[in-house]
Amino acid sequence: MIGKKSVSVEKEIDRIRSLYKIETENLNAWFGNKHVLKDISLKIRVNAVTAVIGPSGCGKSTFIRCLNRMHELVPSARVEGKVLLDGVNIYSREIDPVLVRRRIGMVFQKPNPFPMMSIFDNVAAGLKLNGVRDRKRLYEIVKRSLEQAWLWDEVKNDLDKSGASLSGGQQQRLCIARALAVEPEVLLLDEPTSALDPIAASKIEQLIVSLKKNYTIVIVTHNMQQAARVSDYTAFLYLGKLIEYDETSRIFSNPKEELTENYIAGRFG
Amino acid sequence: MVEGDGYLVRLMDLGLERLKKMIMDIGEYSAKTVFLAIDSYSQGEDLMDHLYIRSNEIRKMYDEVNELAVELIARYQPVASDLRFIKSCLEIGYGFLRFSRYAFDISQVLRIFGEMTSCDKSNVIRVGEHVKEMVKKSIEAFVNRDINLAKKVKEMDVFVDKTYLDALKMASNSKNVKCTISEVLILRYLERIADHATYIADSVTYIISGERVTN
Repeated sequence: MIGKKSVSVEKEIDRIRSLYKIETENLNAWFGNKHVLKDISLKIRVNAVTAVIGPSGCGKSTFIRCLNRMHELVPSARVEGKVLLDGVNIYSREIDPVLVRRRIGMVFQKPNPFPMMSIFDNVAAGLKLNGVRDRKRLYEIVKRSLEQAWLWDEVKNDLDKSGASLSGGQQQRLCIARALAVEPEVLLLDEPTSALDPIAASKIEQLIVSLKKNYTIVIVTHNMQQAARVSDYTAFLYLGKLIEYDETSRIFSNPKEELTENYIAGRFG
Repeated sequence: MVEGDGYLVRLMDLGLERLKKMIMDIGEYSAKTVFLAIDSYSQGEDLMDHLYIRSNEIRKMYDEVNELAVELIARYQPVASDLRFIKSCLEIGYGFLRFSRYAFDISQVLRIFGEMTSCDKSNVIRVGEHVKEMVKKSIEAFVNRDINLAKKVKEMDVFVDKTYLDALKMASNSKNVKCTISEVLILRYLERIADHATYIADSVTYIISGERVTN
C-alpha cells in the first residue's frame, strides 16, 4: 500500500508540474547596484495567457527578460534565483542560453522586422540560422507561421517584398510569425501593441488568445483593459515586488490587495 | 488632481458620485412610497392613484440610473470595487423599483376590497412596521457602507417570512374570506418588499467585501 501511495503522490506531483510551464523561485535581478526584481516567485500556467502589469519602472520587462535569459545580455545586469522551464532551471550552468531562447520566443514593443529582408526571409531567418536549408520545407514553415500569425492572406502574394513595407500592425504580426517559425513553447510579448493603432492592436489581441491553444504566453502590458481582455492570469508588480497574482477575473473584479485595487482602478500610476 | 490621501481624483469619480446621489434619491422616494402604502392600509385610506404615479416616477428614476451606469461602463471601463459599485447600484435601483411596485399592489388590494374596518389588522400593521424598519436600514446601510447594518436587515427578514407563512397556513380555516385574503395578499407583498430590502443589504455587503452573500 505504501508503495502504491508513493507512486500516486509522484503522479500527482507530475500532474501539478505539468500545469505550469515556467516557475520562478525567489527571482532577483539587478542593473548594477539597482535591485529591480525582488524575490519573485510565481508559477506560469501552460497554454494560458499570463499578463504582467504594473506602473512604469516596476520591473515588468525585466521580469520577462529574465524568463529567457535576455536580462543577462545587458552589461552590469545580474540575476539570482531560479527560473524553471518544465521543471529545469534555465540558469543552471549546463544550460545553453541560446537553446533557452529558442524554446522561449520574444516579441517586442516596437515591430522590428529585419528591414533589408523580404517578408519570407524575415520569417525564415531563424530557421536558416538553425540549419534548415530545404526550400520546400522552409516554404511550408513560413506559410504555417504566417497563417498562425493571421498574416498569410494579406501577404501571400508579396512574400518577396520588404518586411518594412508592411503596416505597423502587419509588421508586428510578422514578428510574431518570425518568433513562431522556430517552434517555441513559450511566447513572451513585451507591450506588443503599444505602438499600434486600436484596430491593429485588436487583431494582435485576438491572435494572442488564439495562440494559447499551442503556446504558453506571457504578456507585459501597460493597458489594463488589454490585460483584462486577453489574459487568464495576471501578476501585478510594484517597485520590483510581486504584489498579487491570481486569475484575471479575480484581479479585475475583487483583488485581495488594496495596492492592486488602487492601481487597476487608476487611482495611481 | 490629487486628493488629500494622495490618490488621483478620476473623471469617473464624478460619475460615481452622481450615481450614488441618484440611488439615494430613488431610495428615499421609494421608501416613502412603501410607508404611504403601509399607512394607508392601517388608516383605511385609498391612495392607489397617487401610488401609481409615484411608482411610474420611480421607474423613470431607475431608467436614469441604468443609463448613467451603462455610460460609466462604456466611458471608463471600471474594474474591481468601481465595477462592483456600479453593478450593485443597478441591483439596488431595481430593488427600489420593486418596493414601489409592491406598494402600489398593496394600495390596489385596498381599492378592490374596499372598507375593511371589521378586519383585524394587527398582524399586517406589526409586519408593516417591521418592514418599514428593514427598508430604512437597507438604505442606511448603502449610504453609510455599513456591513453590520446590512447583516441586521438579513436577520430581520426571518420574522416577516414566518409571519407570512403562518398566516397562509391559517387562511384555509378562516371564515372571513375578505379579511383573510386581503391580509394574506398584503403580507405577501410585504414579504416581497422585505426580500428586496435583504437583496439590497446583500448588494451593500458585495460592494464593500467583494464577496457574494450566500443564503
